[in-house]
Amino acid sequence: MAKHPDTDLVPYLRGELPPVDRERVARHLEECPDCRQDTEQLRDLLGQLSRSIGQPPRVNWAHYRAELREKLEARRGRRVWWWRPAPLVLSASVAGALLLLLVAVWGGRETSTGADPFALEEAAIGRQLGLLQEYQVVERLDLLEDLDVISDLDGLASGRQG
Amino acid sequence: MEPSDEALCERVAKRDEAAFDLLVARYQERAYRLAWSMLRNAEDARDVSQEAFIRLYEAAGSFGGRSKFSTWFYRILVNLCLDHKRKHRWWKLWVRDEGDDRTDPILDRQPAPVIDPVDKLSRERTMKELGAAVDRLAPRQRAAVLLRVQEDLATYEIAKVLKCSEATVRVHLHRALTTLKKTVEKR
Repeated sequence: MAKHPDTDLVPYLRGELPPVDRERVARHLEECPDCRQDTEQLRDLLGQLSRSIGQPPRVNWAHYRAELREKLEARRGRRVWWWRPAPLVLSASVAGALLLLLVAVWGGRETSTGADPFALEEAAIGRQLGLLQEYQVVERLDLLEDLDVISDLDGLASGRQG
Repeated sequence: MEPSDEALCERVAKRDEAAFDLLVARYQERAYRLAWSMLRNAEDARDVSQEAFIRLYEAAGSFGGRSKFSTWFYRILVNLCLDHKRKHRWWKLWVRDEGDDRTDPILDRQPAPVIDPVDKLSRERTMKELGAAVDRLAPRQRAAVLLRVQEDLATYEIAKVLKCSEATVRVHLHRALTTLKKTVEKR
């Protein structure tokens, strides 16, 4: 005998199974008295269940809807409260960013005296390259060494050589 | 002609208050009844079902129309009920909820009177025990049973509400009904 179609019995009772499965279950039920009994019990049980679950206490629906409306308004109010400052925060952030950009550009102009910003950056890197030439000295320095020592690396290097 | 639920939901997405009121009126009883069946507490059921409507209002724009409106709405509601149960599980272990409607006599909630006086008492007991057994089911099993028995949803609809496969729903139902059958057989 084929496997008992336990989980198919409820859909079978409801007529939800596709024709092939329905036929398979029906054939099985003809052959299997246990499953037939189970099916009958399930049918009864489903009927009893709808009565045993019962009905909830009565509700005044007008009051229910009024209460719902109040809750919805309260939720909207809360949202408005949250959403209202959002444009302020946004505009303040944008204004701050613009201000920073302006200061950066203005400061850059003052130091560069009209030079190309990329050329400025290259010049800065070029200055740091000097440090790399004295890398052996840098390597020997303690991490907590005074910054003045680092700035006078040229002198240190020449002193070491001499 | 009455507008469909789906059409009303589209209008709610455009903040049509009248459409929202109409949807609430259509679903309020079902939502409250299902929430009550899952939570067994009238106050919680009212709060959770109202919250489901608020979520519906807020998320109406995300209803894609791929499933029925009812399925989509039940998913919101059932998720809220499952969340509520999860959050209040430990609390309820400590404090027996005085407002728990399970303490109400089950007969008060019976829609139809039992006709046969001979086994009236036996039936009453069976119903009461069966109702209590449903309450003891695992939350998702209970949801599957209630959606089937109370809301008359098909397996594929329950699967959409619970966001699982149809096979899983069948297993939930099979396990739940096997448990419930044992309760009846004990009598």
